Formats: sequence, structure tokens, C-alpha cells
Amino acid sequence: MIRLQNIEKVYRTDTIETLALNSVSLDIAKGEFLSIMGPSGCGKSTLLNIMGLLDAPSKGDIRIDDQKTEGMNDKQLAAFRNKKLGFIFQSYHLINDLQVLDNVELPLLYRDTTAKQRRELAAEALEKVGLANRLKHFPTQLSGGQRQRVAIARAIVGRPEIILADEPTGNLDSAMGNEIMEILLNLNRNDGTTIVMVTHDENMAHKTHRLVRLFDGAQVQ
Amino acid sequence: MFKHLFKLIWNKKKQNFLLITEMLVSFLVLFAVFTLMMYYYNNYKKPMGFDYQDVWVINYNNSYQTKNVDSLDLYYETLRKTIKSLPRVKEITFVSGNIPFSSRTNESGLTFRGKHVQHLNNFTVEDHYEKVMNVTLLEGRWFNKEDVVSKNQHIIIDADLKEATFGKESAVGKLLGNDDDKNKFKVVGVIQTIKRNGDYLKAGPGMYFRTDTGSFRWLDKILVKVDHGADAAFEGKLYKTMANYMKNANVEIEHLVNKRTDANYFALVPMIILAIVSAFLVINVALGLFGVLWYNINKRRGEIGLRRAIGATGKSVAAQLVSESMILATLALIIGTFFAAQFPLLNVFDLPAIVYIEGILLSVLFVYLLVLICSLYPGKQAAAIYPAVALHEE
Repeated sequence: MIRLQNIEKVYRTDTIETLALNSVSLDIAKGEFLSIMGPSGCGKSTLLNIMGLLDAPSKGDIRIDDQKTEGMNDKQLAAFRNKKLGFIFQSYHLINDLQVLDNVELPLLYRDTTAKQRRELAAEALEKVGLANRLKHFPTQLSGGQRQRVAIARAIVGRPEIILADEPTGNLDSAMGNEIMEILLNLNRNDGTTIVMVTHDENMAHKTHRLVRLFDGAQVQ
Repeated sequence: MFKHLFKLIWNKKKQNFLLITEMLVSFLVLFAVFTLMMYYYNNYKKPMGFDYQDVWVINYNNSYQTKNVDSLDLYYETLRKTIKSLPRVKEITFVSGNIPFSSRTNESGLTFRGKHVQHLNNFTVEDHYEKVMNVTLLEGRWFNKEDVVSKNQHIIIDADLKEATFGKESAVGKLLGNDDDKNKFKVVGVIQTIKRNGDYLKAGPGMYFRTDTGSFRWLDKILVKVDHGADAAFEGKLYKTMANYMKNANVEIEHLVNKRTDANYFALVPMIILAIVSAFLVINVALGLFGVLWYNINKRRGEIGLRRAIGATGKSVAAQLVSESMILATLALIIGTFFAAQFPLLNVFDLPAIVYIEGILLSVLFVYLLVLICSLYPGKQAAAIYPAVALHEE
């Protein structure tokens, strides 16, 4: 599903050159739930951003669903992200001025869908994460766990084949973290969604199919 | 997408209130400026209706007075001949004080066929007025000796009065006035309205009466058409001639060209003041708008990063920010247009409705253009935000 070959990422300033990823190669199969672990600054999020086409590698090759992403223009990248990928972030990234339903609808706004379809799909996604009774609430009226569930609903509303989750339980207590993890596991199990999750939590990581460890930008496990 | 943006704006109405107010105030000031500008422009486009070049005005007062009309006529006819005999004088005419470009007025009202004409200028002129002023005759004829004796007093009207009273039909030979037929005036000619208040202000309507035997008692101006090369030396000679003839009178000579310039300055001053005020306001709004949009982008970097992650292109992010500003402008303009529309509906300043409509359209266009220009660069900046960086920052 996702194939990374010899990925290198170098950040350059006028005076300093930082190697964030050093020749990372990964093959992630369709329907796999992979977790990435490693100390802060080891390149986990950079790797996730590269997989999510939010950042470009300095070297190396990326293929997602057998499609080479190199050379895609902004419009093609945006369309690819919209259709194939779903994102979940540690800090949720919800728009506080929009109601829950409108937040979930967001990815569909960049697709050719009617308002009615958008509403129906968003409501369905929210029902899946157990928030069918919070459609008209604003994010500020929800708990952290509920907010992350809204973010998951937003990530799955477009029915992507891949979900990229950057520390989805990082801001939550263990009970809420487990709830979120359960939802992700169900998505993987029941819908066959490929999930790549960055986490600091060993317990969460051990619930996934495979664990990859990074250290100083290199894959150590 | 439009509904989505509207929701976003509506849910942030408190933050957007000041911006909308700022746009509304600038629209209203621009509306005043553009309405005035269009009013001036529409008047400027109209023909002058007479020739003011090489026409001098002799003002006199405390002149010869006698109860004997024949002596009075003789006194002024002799003066006319004296002036006309001067080498550079082409033609002269005695005229009532409300000459073009002067602040003096002689107004009345008129109700005709149920239509009321207000601020109707009454001019008293002689047969020579036509030649001195080179007025444009549109219908009928100018005054002549036939007009001395008639059942109804003969008058000449200008195109504005004709339009207000007779509309498209011919006015010549028709009776005009408030009273019964016996006291009505008979129209013998229609002339192009003369722009007596300068190039930019409304001119008509006007009604011209022929001088009669007693008119010299109160007439206090002479219009003199001179050769193109008439100079200060000749002006001095003309002044001396007048002063010698009217021993105790105060005599002053002016040029219609200069009076026109003064009248135009007088009309333009409020326009210039308003334009300066609005220019400051527009600059203020532009900077404010620019600042707010810039601030919004920095405040919304996370949202921008998110939108890019879930499928927005850089261009669509820029378009979203520009569209949000345009929606805010539209809301301000809807409120502003409601207030502006009251001016033609209530006929506040007695201006034609089309002038207000032109003012509204130009102001709307200007505000949209201003908002577009101010939001383009911040929009471009937003499009350049790198999603991975913006998402990581929060």
C-alpha cells in the first residue's frame, strides 16, 4: 500500500544542515496497522508527513497504492490527499468556529459532493465514532476524547484507504486514549483501513500489527 | 463552499463586526463622494448654452434715477451708444443682476398641468442679449420688437423648464403660468439651458422676460461682447467712459471667464474636502483590512495547514481568504446600499435618482476592488504556508 525506499530528509538553514531521516525504507501492506515509535526529534512526524505528502523527501522514492508521487503538482497532491489519505493529529486541529458536523464535512468540501451527501456522510462518520448526539456542538463544548473522535470522524468521512495518525492519544488520559485506540482498531479490523500511527505509548504500539522504531532519523527496528 | 464560508463568518460575527462597520462607513463616505462626483460630471457633460469668452460685465449702482421714463430711456440709450462706439466693443446689452456665474438669484415657482417647478430663475434681458451671449436657440425665436404689444406677455424659456412643463411636445406658441389664461405667458422661444452656476452645478430651469420701459430703474449690469484681443488698456478706457458718464456711480468691470473660474472653484471646494476625507478613510480601511487579514492568516495557520492536508490546494486556500473578505464586504454593502437607497427614494437633496444610482454602483465597485486588492497579498501568503510546518506549530 505504501512503499518508501531510501527516504532521506535534510533540513537546511544558512549555517546548519540537519538530517531528519536517513535512508528509511518501509513497506506497509494494505490493511496493516503500523505504529512508529522513537524519542522526540527522531523523525517520526517527519516520516508521517512524507507519507502524507505534506512534506517532500530530499531523496528517495514514495509509492502509495502503486502510484509514484514524485512530480505531482499541488493540485494533484491535494486531490490525492483528499481521496486516499485521512489525517489525525495530536492536537485535533478542529475549527472552533464550526460545529462538529461542519468540521467533519470539511474534506468533502474539496470534492464534488452535494450538501445533502456531505451531511449524510458526516453524520454517518460521527455515528461510527459514537458522537451522533453532538452534531450541533462546537468543539469547545467537547472533552478532549470527544474532540479526537470528531477528528477521527473527519479523517474517515471521505472513506480513505489510509489513515495517518500523529500521536492521536498523546493529549488524552489513558481511559480516553484506550477509547480512541479501540476506534482505530475497529476501523482497521472492520473496514480494512491501513493505519500508520506515531505514538510514544508502548501499550498502544503493541496493540498494532507491527512496530517500527526510529532513532536519529534511522530505522532501528 | 459559499455556505461553508458564510457559516464560518457568521459564527465569527463578533470578530467580524468591526471590519464590517469599517467597510460600511467607507462605503457611505465613498457614496457621498461618488454621488457628488457624478452630479458634477453629469452637469459638466451638458453644453454651456452660451459663449462666455470675451464677455465683460459692467456692474454699476447709484446710477441716474428719474421718474420720467423717457429721460431714463434716453440716458441709458445714450450710454449704450457711447459704449458701443468704442472700437473693441461688438455688442452690449443691459441685463438683470442674476447674470451667469454670479451668486445673485431671482427665483419663483410655477405650477403647470399639475407639475410644480421650484427654483425657477427669472431673467430680464434685452433683444441684444442673444448676440452678446450667443445663446443656442432650440425652438421658435429670440425677442424682438413684436413682443412689445401682445395679449399675453411673451417669454422665452430654457430647455429644462420646457422639459419640466411641456415634456417632449413643442412649447412655442403655448401659454405657461400659474394663473388663468389671460395672465399666462406665451412662449415664443426655447433656448439651451445656460449653465449660470458654472460647469459643475445644476443650471435650470429658467424663464426670460423682455425688458420694458421701466426696467432701467433697477437694472444694474451691462454685458459687453468685446473683440478677442481686448486688453487691460481697453478695459481702462471702458472704465473711464463709464465713470465719466455715471458721475456718482460705483463702477466695476469683471470678465465672465474669471467669474466662471471662481464659480467652478466654489463648487469644487466641498468636493475636494470630501475627497480628501474619503482618501484618508480609504487608506485607513485598506491598511486596517490588510492588517486584519494578515493577522487572521497568522492566527489561522493551523486551520490553513489542516485544509491543505485534507485536500485544499494553495490556490483554493488563497481563494477562500479572498472570498471571506468579499463576503464581509457584501454584508457591509447590503447594509450600506439600504441606507444609500433612501436618498433617491426620499429625494433628500433634490438630485436625479440616476446620480444616486451611479454613486451607489461606483462605491460598491470601489469597495469590492479595495477589498480584493487588500486580500490578494495575504491570500497569496496563506497559499504559501507549508502544511507540515503549520500543522506542527500548533
